[in-house]
Amino acid sequence: MSGPVRPYVITGGRSRPSRNVLALESLVSTVPGADTGEAELNREHQRILALCGRLLAIAEIAAHLHLPLSVVKVLVGDLWDLGAVQVLPPATAVHRPPDVPQAERLPTSLLEEVLVGLRQLR
Amino acid sequence: MASANSAEPSYLPSTVQGAVKVLVTGPFGVGKTTLVGSLSEIAPLRTEETMTAAGVGIDDLTGRTGKTTTTVALDFGRITLNPQLALYLFGTPGQQRFWPLWEDLSRGALGAIALVDTRRIGESFDVLGQLEEQGIPFAVAVNVFPDTVHHSEQELRDALDLLPDVPILHCDARDRQAAYDVLIDFVAHLHATAVLELQP
Ligand SMILES: Nc1nc2c(ncn2[C@@H]2O[C@H](COP(=O)(O)OP(=O)(O)O)[C@@H](O)[C@H]2O)c(=O)[nH]1
Ligand SMILES: [Mg+2]
Repeated sequence: MSGPVRPYVITGGRSRPSRNVLALESLVSTVPGADTGEAELNREHQRILALCGRLLAIAEIAAHLHLPLSVVKVLVGDLWDLGAVQVLPPATAVHRPPDVPQAERLPTSLLEEVLVGLRQLR
Repeated sequence: MASANSAEPSYLPSTVQGAVKVLVTGPFGVGKTTLVGSLSEIAPLRTEETMTAAGVGIDDLTGRTGKTTTTVALDFGRITLNPQLALYLFGTPGQQRFWPLWEDLSRGALGAIALVDTRRIGESFDVLGQLEEQGIPFAVAVNVFPDTVHHSEQELRDALDLLPDVPILHCDARDRQAAYDVLIDFVAHLHATAVLELQP
C-alpha cells in the first residue's frame, strides 16, 4: 500500500483506463481546491465532489447518491483524470488469473492483517 | 431491513490506506443480507448495477436494437479492521442470470462465503459451480434455520459435490458472534492455504 495513484494514461478518447481499474471497494476522496480548468462538470460530478470530502468507497458513493455503480465508475474516472479526486490503490488483488506465479497470488501478510483485525473486533 | 442510504454518510478514518472485499453469495432468501448486516459496522447500504445482456454485437450487425437490461441489487457493509485497512462485504446474488457481472464484482476479492440453506440444497448448485469456474476461493456456510435438519459434514460434502479443501461452516446469520466466527474461520482458511502454498 502506497500513496494515491494517478491513472496511467489520460486518453481523452473513448477508452478510459481509469474507469476499468476502479473496483467497488476503491477508496475515493476529493482533492481540496483542485483546479479542474475548463472541464465541464455536470451535476453528478459536483455531487460526488461534495460527498467525498472524506474517504468513501465507490459502492458507498453509488448508494448515497442513488446512482448505478457503472455510472459512478465513469464519473469518478472523469474526476480522477482531471485530478479532482484521489483514488487509493487496491489493498491487493489476491484473486488473480491462474497464470500469475503462485507466490504472487498469496499475500499472507495481508490475510494475517485481516485475521488479526477480525479477531480483535469479534 | 432498514437501509441507511439516505442517512449522513459514515466516512472511513482518514488514516485508511486501502480496502479488501469478501463476497457473500447464495440463492435468494438464503440470508446474504442478514449476514452482511450482522457483520457490518455501518447500517448496510444498497446499490444497483445494471447489466446489458444478449448479443450486442449481433444486434449491431443486423441493425436491430434490442438490448435487455437487468438490474442487480447489492447489499453491502463495512468493517474497519485497523486504522489502515477496511473490509467490505458484498451480498452478491447467486443466480445464473447475474454471471456477466461476476468478473467485475469479484475482481480483487479475497474470496466468497457461499451461504447454503440445506432445506433447498439444489438452489446452491449453480453458484457453487460458478465459484469453482471463476477460481474464487470460497467456504460454504450453512445458514441454520429452525427446521433445518442436521446433516453430517460428509453428507453435505457429497450432496454439494465439494472438494475436500472447501471448508463447511455453520451459522445463524442473524447472530453477530456466529457471523464473525464464519468470517474468521474463512479468512483463517485462506491464510493457512496461502502459507501452505508458499512452501516449496
Ligand atoms: N431463522 C433464521 N432466519 C434467517 C436467518 N438468516 C436469514 N433469515 C431470514 O430469512 C429471510 C431471508 O434472508 P435475507 O438475508 O434477506 O436473504 P438474501 O435474499 O440472501 O439476502 C429473512 O426473513 C431473514 O430474516 C437465520 O440464520 N435463521
Ligand atoms: Mg438480500
